[in-house]
Amino acid sequence: MKNDKLIDFDENDDGIDRAGFLKCMAWAGTGLFCLMSGGILKTYGMSQIIDKTTGGIKKGLDISKGDFSFAQISDTHIGFNKPANPDVIGTLQASISKINAMPSTPSFILHTGDLSHLAQADEFDTLEQTLKSAKTGKIFYVPGEHDVLNDNGKQYLQRFGKDTKGNGWYSFDFNGVHFIGLVNVVDNSEGGLGVLGNEQLQWLESDVKGLSSSTPIVVFAHIPLWAVYPQWGWGTRDSEQALSYLRRFGSVSVLNGHIHQTLQKVEGNITFHTATSTAFPQPQPGAAASAGPMKVPAEQLRNLLGLTSINYVEHDHTLAVTDLPLSDAQQQQPAHQ
Amino acid sequence: MVFKKKYVVISVLACTVAIAVAALPSANSEFRNLRVLPKNISSQNLSKIMIDDFEDGLGVSCTFCHAQGKDSLRLDYASDAKPEKQIARRMMTMTMGINKKYFGLKHPLLGDSVLAINCITCHNGQPRPGDLETK
Repeated sequence: MKNDKLIDFDENDDGIDRAGFLKCMAWAGTGLFCLMSGGILKTYGMSQIIDKTTGGIKKGLDISKGDFSFAQISDTHIGFNKPANPDVIGTLQASISKINAMPSTPSFILHTGDLSHLAQADEFDTLEQTLKSAKTGKIFYVPGEHDVLNDNGKQYLQRFGKDTKGNGWYSFDFNGVHFIGLVNVVDNSEGGLGVLGNEQLQWLESDVKGLSSSTPIVVFAHIPLWAVYPQWGWGTRDSEQALSYLRRFGSVSVLNGHIHQTLQKVEGNITFHTATSTAFPQPQPGAAASAGPMKVPAEQLRNLLGLTSINYVEHDHTLAVTDLPLSDAQQQQPAHQ
Repeated sequence: MVFKKKYVVISVLACTVAIAVAALPSANSEFRNLRVLPKNISSQNLSKIMIDDFEDGLGVSCTFCHAQGKDSLRLDYASDAKPEKQIARRMMTMTMGINKKYFGLKHPLLGDSVLAINCITCHNGQPRPGDLETK
């Protein structure tokens, strides 16, 4: 972090501002580390908080005061073996190692979908076996579209959806925080946009109805619940309705995967984060003919798995927000190493 | 007595056939209306073709070819309601034909790594190869 200015506007008094966050994400490794403190969710890239020389927490990042912490991993794509990353198990293990290196063990892990690449039994087996080495509590899952291929998620539900409702949605409470796992990959919409569907939306409305507005909310689902890039299906068709049930809450954090890069957006009281993949990078929104595995030189892969570049947000009403461009993020990379 | 013996033999044979049919691999019995892809294709190979060849090759999602079910947001994979699915079948047939005729592959199969050409060769991540020419 030497000679690198990370804080211009420290709006939340959390030691990092939005630009600094994105700069760090540019070189972050796989996985996100989330710290819930006083009902406010703070999200860090793994490489952002681990000191490479000591293996411990970087100086100046005091995470012990947090109420609790948890990690998010996403898009492990076990079974993928194309040139973009022929060793997805190795990169998942690297992600787990970073989680295990945390001096304060995360209470649990959220996996935001695409556990497998082709929804095969052996792929789910491998994922479960590999994740057993994570020294955390429970692992909570939601499915990605790759997990429900061919059988509309039947096998996923049998393995990972016990005690869930409908296609696998559920909620739970942890230390006063209400967590909601949503499924937006089983029902389908033109263009590949995610769909929550009426049944799940009704459940969500009823699930949060009795909660006090001061209850911190964390929502996690695979496809982003904000319009990142609808042309590539990077959004959820009926997410607005879901968010309307959450706007009365003082602190809402929405965690997603699917797009294999870290983006962040703040909209009123709702903060959106998308996570990197542990398997392979995807192009920036609109920067390629289409979304899909992006091959990069082998020596760059592990850095680029955490690469974040553009916040491209396109709402239904043409509102678009552009954030830091990729080129700026890349230029910052050497300063961190 | 002879009639009884025949009856027993026929019954045993019928049971044997029924058991044998039930014991056949059922992994692909759920895939209906396969016209070009092999009817006995495995779940893994079918998914691989859908992801690698169509999704990545054309930059599309399942809804590009597959129609939603009646009164449902779920896909009816067997449905032929969308013309894109018919076109996809013709494209698969064409691709296999080119591999066979011009590249000498005796039994080309979509998804096989030895193919000389496949979807992405021309589509390059676009739903229609012509999209590239117009840019």
